[in-house]
Amino acid sequence: MLVTACLVFVSIVTVIRPVFNRNPFPRTAARNYSEEKKKAGKDEIVNPGEDTVAAPETFSNSKDAQNKLLELKRKENLLRSRLMLATEDSTYLVLDLINNLAILELKGIPLHQCHIIHATISNSIKLYSKEALMGWIAEPFALKNVEATIPKISYIEKIAPKDTLEANKMVTEPKETKLGDVLVVMDFERNLRLVISQNEQPDPDGLSLISEIRTRYNKIEVSKSILALTKFNREPVKPQIEIVIPKSDATILYKALPFNTRIILKL
Amino acid sequence: MEIEEKKGRPFLSILKWFIPVFLFCLSVMMVLYTPAFQDSAFKVKSWMNSKPLFEGKSPEALENLALRSSRNIASIESKIEKLKPVKPYIVVNTLENRFSLRNVDGDTVRTGVCSTGKNELLIAGNKRIVFKTPKGIFTVRNKQQNRPWVKPDWAFIEDGLPIPSARAAERIDYSTLGDYAMEIGNGYMIHGTLYQRFLGLPVTHGCVRLGDKDLEVVYNTLSKGSKVYIY
Repeated sequence: MLVTACLVFVSIVTVIRPVFNRNPFPRTAARNYSEEKKKAGKDEIVNPGEDTVAAPETFSNSKDAQNKLLELKRKENLLRSRLMLATEDSTYLVLDLINNLAILELKGIPLHQCHIIHATISNSIKLYSKEALMGWIAEPFALKNVEATIPKISYIEKIAPKDTLEANKMVTEPKETKLGDVLVVMDFERNLRLVISQNEQPDPDGLSLISEIRTRYNKIEVSKSILALTKFNREPVKPQIEIVIPKSDATILYKALPFNTRIILKL
Repeated sequence: MEIEEKKGRPFLSILKWFIPVFLFCLSVMMVLYTPAFQDSAFKVKSWMNSKPLFEGKSPEALENLALRSSRNIASIESKIEKLKPVKPYIVVNTLENRFSLRNVDGDTVRTGVCSTGKNELLIAGNKRIVFKTPKGIFTVRNKQQNRPWVKPDWAFIEDGLPIPSARAAERIDYSTLGDYAMEIGNGYMIHGTLYQRFLGLPVTHGCVRLGDKDLEVVYNTLSKGSKVYIY
């Protein structure tokens, strides 16, 4: 009975109690993110800053006013982030999870846009209200670390021929390069993790690479959890967003984004 | 009597060890497989807003805030608009080897295949020459029809030929660049090609090659100062 009581106590203190105490806003109900509206927008280049937000008017009640003001503030933050990055010379990514779009931009011009087939958002983001998240997504996220199954830059090495005879023997017909299977794990500041994975089924070699990376990250999380159990204290969890897009788009996004890239999150 | 008592309560004896084992397994599972429910979830809130944003504000105050926010939005949008190109521009995708010609409003007026850099590293003794199309934003500096190509050293190295002097006649090639050529800086150009069948493949030494019809349209649409976006 004593052992049982100890186990129950440990479970309550380390697991159950924090679950119920995690919401910083007792008054604001945590909303399920999947209930948010989704717009179509597959072929047209969509300006992620454009939203249908009602112009300010006489608000009928305080709650209505707060919601509309929240939308305006959200749009203002998004545009401010875009302006900040558009004044720089680097390519950046706008992740519009409301319209399910990933847009590569440079100087405010959308270069490449792809439809997100599926997005998985971790609970640590979903369980917070929009009001709470505003501070987190107000500014762009700077990339700190990236790991991928494909090389960012790859060159074919060729030794210059010594004479024309040797040059004529060299293969001149170009071959179409096969795209490798893609999994990109990007760690940003403010603890955001973005995982970009391909929609297509990977081949055996690609699958082993992808599995190796996923297994390694899972092991890190598991070891952190076990350590937390012994210390009753855990490192901050990384809120994770995983997007599934076509392989070619995933490759384009990874290869086009510079090493010091930043992303804008639209939630 | 003892044996009968024990036989009469099998369920309780199972329950005695089942509950603690079940609780222990449940705890382990929640720890191992649901890290998102950990205590650390609240630690993310250091970046989250620590108190409700608009609590205690009157409707008039909220209206003023909304008005100010709308003005800020309009101001930022106009600043973003000023950054956009004032002339038609072209966007080149080096991975898919496709281009997109757009007007001032950002609408696509023409798309097609092109050829971009072959991502090759040519090693010639101590020299390392990289053939790739640079990424970023460029400007059309010069436009020319029937432009001759002045072959750089690598064109001879690649073919196993001796490098001639700077003013040698062998350096001048009148057919490679096609009917039109647009310089975008650092020796890179958008030009035509003799190898139309290679369009869509990464075969160039860094320049962007277009097919004849596409090149004509692009040449006639873009002007000096037009932007070229390459990614």
